[in-house]
Amino acid sequence: MTHVLVPVAVLEGETISPGLMSLLGTVDVTVLGYHVLPEQTPPDQARLQFEERATSALADLSEEFRAAGGAADHRLVFTHDREQTIQRVAEEVDADAFAVSGTTGDVGRLLVSLTGDVDVDRVLSFVEALVGDLDIGVTLFLATGERTRTADAADAGESEGIGPTDATDAANATDERLEAAADRLREAGIDVATERATKGSAFDALIDAVPGHDAIVMGERAPSFRSFVLGDESDRVATASVGPVLVVRDRRESDGDDANATPGTDE
Amino acid sequence: MTDEPSGRNLDGDAPVAEVVVETDEATITEGAELERTIGLTGGLAIGIGTMIGAGIFVFPGLAGGEIGTAATASFAVGGAIALLVALPTSELATAMPRSGGGYYFISRGLGTLAGTVIGLSLWLGLVFATAFYLVGLGFYALDALAQIGITVAVTSDAIVSAIAVLAGVAFTVLNVTGTENAAKLQNGIVALLLSMLVVFLGFGLLEAFGVVAVDTPPGQAADVWEAVPILSVAALVFTSYLGFAQIATVAGEMKDPGRNLPLAMVGSVVIVTVLYVLTIFVATNVFTRDTLLSAGETAMVEVGRALLGPTGALVIIVGGLLATMSSANASILSTSRAIYGVSKDALLPRRASRINLRYGTPHVALGMAGGPIVVLAATGQVQLLAEVASFLHLVMYGLMCVALVAIRRDRPEWYDPDFRVPGGPVVPVLGALASFGLIAFMNRFSIAVGIAVIAVTAGWYFYYARDVELKGAL
Repeated sequence: MTHVLVPVAVLEGETISPGLMSLLGTVDVTVLGYHVLPEQTPPDQARLQFEERATSALADLSEEFRAAGGAADHRLVFTHDREQTIQRVAEEVDADAFAVSGTTGDVGRLLVSLTGDVDVDRVLSFVEALVGDLDIGVTLFLATGERTRTADAADAGESEGIGPTDATDAANATDERLEAAADRLREAGIDVATERATKGSAFDALIDAVPGHDAIVMGERAPSFRSFVLGDESDRVATASVGPVLVVRDRRESDGDDANATPGTDE
Repeated sequence: MTDEPSGRNLDGDAPVAEVVVETDEATITEGAELERTIGLTGGLAIGIGTMIGAGIFVFPGLAGGEIGTAATASFAVGGAIALLVALPTSELATAMPRSGGGYYFISRGLGTLAGTVIGLSLWLGLVFATAFYLVGLGFYALDALAQIGITVAVTSDAIVSAIAVLAGVAFTVLNVTGTENAAKLQNGIVALLLSMLVVFLGFGLLEAFGVVAVDTPPGQAADVWEAVPILSVAALVFTSYLGFAQIATVAGEMKDPGRNLPLAMVGSVVIVTVLYVLTIFVATNVFTRDTLLSAGETAMVEVGRALLGPTGALVIIVGGLLATMSSANASILSTSRAIYGVSKDALLPRRASRINLRYGTPHVALGMAGGPIVVLAATGQVQLLAEVASFLHLVMYGLMCVALVAIRRDRPEWYDPDFRVPGGPVVPVLGALASFGLIAFMNRFSIAVGIAVIAVTAGWYFYYARDVELKGAL
């Protein structure tokens, strides 16, 4: 069964919007209640004072999830580092995706971003499981500007002036990739549209595509210098789009666990 | 012997106890998990950041002034004792990776009376140490002012005290209200300090061995290579080695504690010992002891000036400010954890571990740290503050070694450390003897103040918590 982790800053009064709750009705949910503490405060100390309050809020939330359809349980973590906690718990419960909560009503259409080096196969399987028999449409989105840049990262010097042939090739490849993905979802009986952005920053293009969609699904990407400076990409998307974001975890990384563990360590 | 703490204190509170599972990444209690977020780098930064301020930037003038180059031996002795204690502490910490550090081990190994005395003297010891760092900061700030041409009319002692008090208030307020991640800043400061020191010491050593020549002022006073003065200076400068046990106070938040705790404790002791010995060697090589003595707390600034001109002086002033600040800040953090450990076990009113709803910080504990720190900092007594801090810590260190021997003898079921001190009881016994022995070389008045503090804490036990039973409980 597909499993989604829903982190909630439980003691800061964060809740889960009804739209996200019913969207996740088709999957199993673990509600991760977390509370981030300043380093002056030992987590244990906060637990003594806040555990009861947090647990009762979490029990209510998971009850609502169960009412919406799927199985749900909850965990409570006191931490100094939100990212580290989400990653650890997602790993432990073997979650396929985690949610960045945002506000939405009933979900009619999902925006699914395939931009960048993401595990397309997993993203699509996740969308299939999530939509299931529900009447939810999907828009597949792919921004090529960034993709070309990563592909050409080796010869960074010519990032400005890509030859016309290269650009057409890239565009064709993109179309093929999008169509293959769309076909796969159509076979599963989902209403699919595609959207392609060729210019400007992939991030802005994605945000521009948001109107008309109620939630975003995107693949997890390895931490980069960009995400180090600006903050996690999914968080930024969630902030800019207001709606909830579901981030599909990249299992290809689990082979290189060590390399993956380091960036969090010294931050 | 029971596995559960029991009994109630005067307020009717019982120690909080529950079954927990420790993993490398989190502590899992019945209803919640506590993330471990401090890595090896963070642990080393706490240890080195706490220690380096005093040993390098405050003591060279005082210690070198007493006995000259022989002070290198004093620092080596201090480092050896710290190492003898760091090893047993590592074993205890990997078996009990909980907040509270030394207090926790002693209360479980030796019982509630020893636990209360140590828990409260750890708090007060850290208070004395922090006040000492702040006074050091005051001296450096005064030098910085002089450097930019501001000379003050009032006596310098009053200015130093005033700066120390202001800094104490500022740190306390920052810790109560600040939710920014100061740990990253601390790591950065420690890295910066280490690189500055490596360059500075490298140049100093080149000079010492005649590769580069610098005019060093002549002096007559000879070094004092005698056992008693060396040991008594070692007792004074031992304050420079108090940081490693602070790592144990955050043991509950350390990732992979079985590996990172011993590495961070032993590693930080070894690193600072090497740096201290080299610093003293360089300082006493540049100046003879009468010159160092007259330069006092900020003698290193003059050493920097002699070696590298005004730039050298500036580097040392900036370094001294950063280092004393990082020591003070790291100690305030440990203090609030020490208070929490004691109050969780019902040895202090539970109120002491309340958390402020607005900032999420333990404001009562931070206030209990900051208040006395400010009062003590106002005295401006560098030597007294340093020695009382060392006294209170040395008692704890000695008892930690005893606790290790006791716990190994009792073999409670839960005792399963990842790290074991080799050589049976040799290291802990030597550690205990050395810790208690060093106390004998302290100034009489410091010893008296230390004993008074211990007596008050023991009195508190009999008044408040005599029915609480902690020995042997996990």
